[in-house]
Amino acid sequence: MHITSLRKGVIAAAALTAGLAVSGAALAEWKPDRPVELVVSAGPGGGSDIFTRVVQAALTKNKLVDTPLIVVNKPGGSGSEAFNYAKDNAGSPYKVYFGTQDAYVLPLGTKVNYAMKDLTPVASMVFDVFILWSNPKASGINTAQEFIAKAKENPGKVRVAGAKAKDADETVVTLVERATGTDLAYIPYKSGSEAAIQVAGGHIEANTNNPSESLEQWKAGNQKPLCVFTAERLADKTVVTENMSWADIPTCVEAGIDVKDFVQPRTVWMAADVPAEAVAYYTELMQKAMQTPEFKDYTARNVQITKFMTGDELKTFLAEQTKNYEKIYADNNWLLPASQ
Amino acid sequence: MEISRKTMEAATAVVTGGVGALICYGSTENGIGWGAGGPEPGYFPFGIGCLILLGSLATLVQTFWKYAGARHPGPGAVAEEPFIDGTRLRLLVAFALPIMAMTAISVWLGLYIGMGLYIFYTMRVSAGFRTLSSLATALLVIAINFVVFEKLFMVPLLKGPILEYFGIY
Amino acid sequence: MGNFGQLMDGFAVALTLHHVMIMVIGVLLGLIVGVLPGLGAPNGVSLLLPLTFTMDPISAIILLTSMYWGALFGGSTTSILFNIPGEPSSVATTFDGHPMAKQGEAVRALTLAFGSAGFGAMVGVIVITLLSSWVANFALRFGSPEYFAVYFMAFASFIGMAGGSPFKTLVCIMLGLAVGTVGMDTISGEGRLTFGITQLTNGISFLIVVIGLFGIGELLLTIDEGYKFDGVKAKLSLPVILRTLAELPRYWVTLLRSALVGCWMGITPGGPTAASFMSYALGRRFSKRGKYFGKGEPEGIVAPETADHSAGSCALLPMLALGVPGSATAAVMMGGLMIWGLSPGPMLFTSRPDFVWGLIASMYMGNVIAVVLVLATVPIFAWILRAPFTVVGPLIAIVCLIGAYTVSNHMFDVWVALAFGVAGYVFKKLDYPLAPFVLAVVLGDKAEDAFRQSMLSSGGSLAVFFENPLVASMMGIGILLLSLPLLSALFNGLFRRGAGAGQTSSS
Repeated sequence: MHITSLRKGVIAAAALTAGLAVSGAALAEWKPDRPVELVVSAGPGGGSDIFTRVVQAALTKNKLVDTPLIVVNKPGGSGSEAFNYAKDNAGSPYKVYFGTQDAYVLPLGTKVNYAMKDLTPVASMVFDVFILWSNPKASGINTAQEFIAKAKENPGKVRVAGAKAKDADETVVTLVERATGTDLAYIPYKSGSEAAIQVAGGHIEANTNNPSESLEQWKAGNQKPLCVFTAERLADKTVVTENMSWADIPTCVEAGIDVKDFVQPRTVWMAADVPAEAVAYYTELMQKAMQTPEFKDYTARNVQITKFMTGDELKTFLAEQTKNYEKIYADNNWLLPASQ
Repeated sequence: MEISRKTMEAATAVVTGGVGALICYGSTENGIGWGAGGPEPGYFPFGIGCLILLGSLATLVQTFWKYAGARHPGPGAVAEEPFIDGTRLRLLVAFALPIMAMTAISVWLGLYIGMGLYIFYTMRVSAGFRTLSSLATALLVIAINFVVFEKLFMVPLLKGPILEYFGIY
Repeated sequence: MGNFGQLMDGFAVALTLHHVMIMVIGVLLGLIVGVLPGLGAPNGVSLLLPLTFTMDPISAIILLTSMYWGALFGGSTTSILFNIPGEPSSVATTFDGHPMAKQGEAVRALTLAFGSAGFGAMVGVIVITLLSSWVANFALRFGSPEYFAVYFMAFASFIGMAGGSPFKTLVCIMLGLAVGTVGMDTISGEGRLTFGITQLTNGISFLIVVIGLFGIGELLLTIDEGYKFDGVKAKLSLPVILRTLAELPRYWVTLLRSALVGCWMGITPGGPTAASFMSYALGRRFSKRGKYFGKGEPEGIVAPETADHSAGSCALLPMLALGVPGSATAAVMMGGLMIWGLSPGPMLFTSRPDFVWGLIASMYMGNVIAVVLVLATVPIFAWILRAPFTVVGPLIAIVCLIGAYTVSNHMFDVWVALAFGVAGYVFKKLDYPLAPFVLAVVLGDKAEDAFRQSMLSSGGSLAVFFENPLVASMMGIGILLLSLPLLSALFNGLFRRGAGAGQTSSS
């Protein structure tokens, strides 16, 4: 799980924009002549859904597309429904798929009908960071150190909530367990916000979450961030509570949990065998979407790391990510028997 | 052809029982025990399957019990009653078959063509309209659905190769 | 009272000509969407969302919620007229609504439904107005065991009520639970009961089940019964509507009970669909005319409709205050909220009171507008009913099939719906109860998730369901409801034997 530092990313993105402008001009002939489906690998209300709808809003509001954009939710089978749909619609340039790491992680642990060759990577747009939260009032845990101490005293008893099983949340919890030598009880919920409410209500000790899903409960004093799973502290200095801003949250490494960099990419895909001009068109479109005030508001609100990747850079990144996940899945004994 | 209620009761119980057994079998793939962290994924499905099997068997027994008295007239005996008689069955099949056909055609040629053919058939054959008015009704139904779903609410229905060929999307 | 003052400010925001226009448009669109089973409120709201990107958040949420009200009302229309629930939450309305319509009293059935729905919505909004600050804290007290207890109560209230063979009831409940189990398991992330079929990993949607069992099943039954479709007799006249509205206050007990059930299920995670079922079951058990339920009894329409709408209104509160949507529609709206730059949560009430109270005020207005508009559509539907069944039947069939397709754009789902249609027809003729089946599909997997989450967090101890007064009393009520039919059967048995009638029980 390694991403280069933010600053490097920005430079890379700028260089990329310049490169795209050239190639974009050459390939500018292709344009969708009918409504485009934005297929989400999650149900309404969740992180991927909001991400997709923000892209839809940014593109429509700023008139960057002429044809209507339709958001289609395909949450079935933990999101594999969306990518199966891509397999069934190979070659269609009117469908763009929005996901996270799920596109390449799902085939590792579950029986799915698609393979990676059924997808064409378009871009990775932003990274969502993960934060470890506690309920300071109910559990008495105020820092990451206290969390680890409590987990060591009560093996298997300290509960951590998250969204879904064998997905990002559970993965990061197993990484924490391994790094600290503790045994935590992971409890999966349908969504991250449900998990957050369980912690805010004092039913569960801690949860891992994207920042925005717990922001309001943090302001209300029902949740407290313990540490953030990034290499460096968050850049956002906005003061959230009386005495803390996002930048004041220690990284997990600082706090004594040796999990360096666990972030969730927001990825964009197309089906296999789509025309190269179409891929170029959507790549440029996503790039444009990122420059809109709507999108910038969104990334700021969600305290995301903006880093646009496409082309070879994206392919390298995906290969590296898949390898990392394969290792974690093997360690957790989650791999499908066939691929072991 | 007439199907008696007894036959149907028994057949249904056998089918539900079969489904129950299938569920039991399917759930064994997920582990059906009660582990340290509560029930395993297959625990509840397995129980559900067993209960379906049990309920179906009981219904089966009850059916034979209830109708066993029919041949020996006496208090509490139940006469053989029909589930459906021949005329009704024919009507039912005449209604259901075109729907199946429409679904099969829709898989292949898309929903719009499927529904058009189906409406044309039912209007012409079942309702006894003239060919021209049946055709007009079918086209009207297609047009209304197209406008409502594709244009108004932007919900794409299955188009199929013919519509794709003419560039309708 | 602080809330009252804020509500008045809210009215000042909501009652502009611009916003009233938006409400009318929203309700009208909602009616269309609600009538077509394939579209439904979540779909409609999701389609309107892009339009709201350029609006200010208050106008946007008013548009979306008005559409939601319209869809809720529209869903009941097709339930009553064609036995096709346009919305999941209007399934229970078919139980008595459709029989009444078949007897030629379609207009009365529709008016009863809309009138009681309006009442339910009003009670819901009043509860929100008075209790908004308290509800958010109350909802936070619900952990997994409490969730399970809520589902358990809904189940328990229903199980005892089904008449007929207990074995058939058992089979139906279990089949329903099995349908809910198919697909990806939340707790383990494994596919269950998929038998290697890809489409089954996506699960079987509740809508598909309902379209099949009720919509297609009813079509087959109608043929079987010899095209008896007495909609023709539906005399449409203003006096009928007015007389029916005047009839409503007579059912005040049912109205109040159902509104309370609705509010409770809306605030807790039960949701509108479970609320309407539970309210129907309680109505059947506690109403004097309970034994006539299922045959076109007015109270059998009033009970689910009132609860459905009060729950629908109340469910918006957990969404705003906690960011946990109570229904699929609320989930889409919540996405909208975040795109407009608002984050739902406890602080929303203090940071944007104009938004929250403008929305609440619009709920009063929106529901009044919805009742008026939906009553105005009654003549149109009465007109459709006059067409002969040979014409209407195929059209209903098409509506069902398209509805099944649009749930997730798979033809596979259409086949599944057809299979459920045949099952619905056979089950209904053989007196298998369909209601427990449907309820099991709605609540089954949620209840299982909650149960297993509770087990994970308690380390496998069942005591977790009785560890605090809230969960213990809910479980207690549930067990009481479950044993009520047993107790009364026992009591009756003893009583009869005591009377020495010498008759062996025949049923």
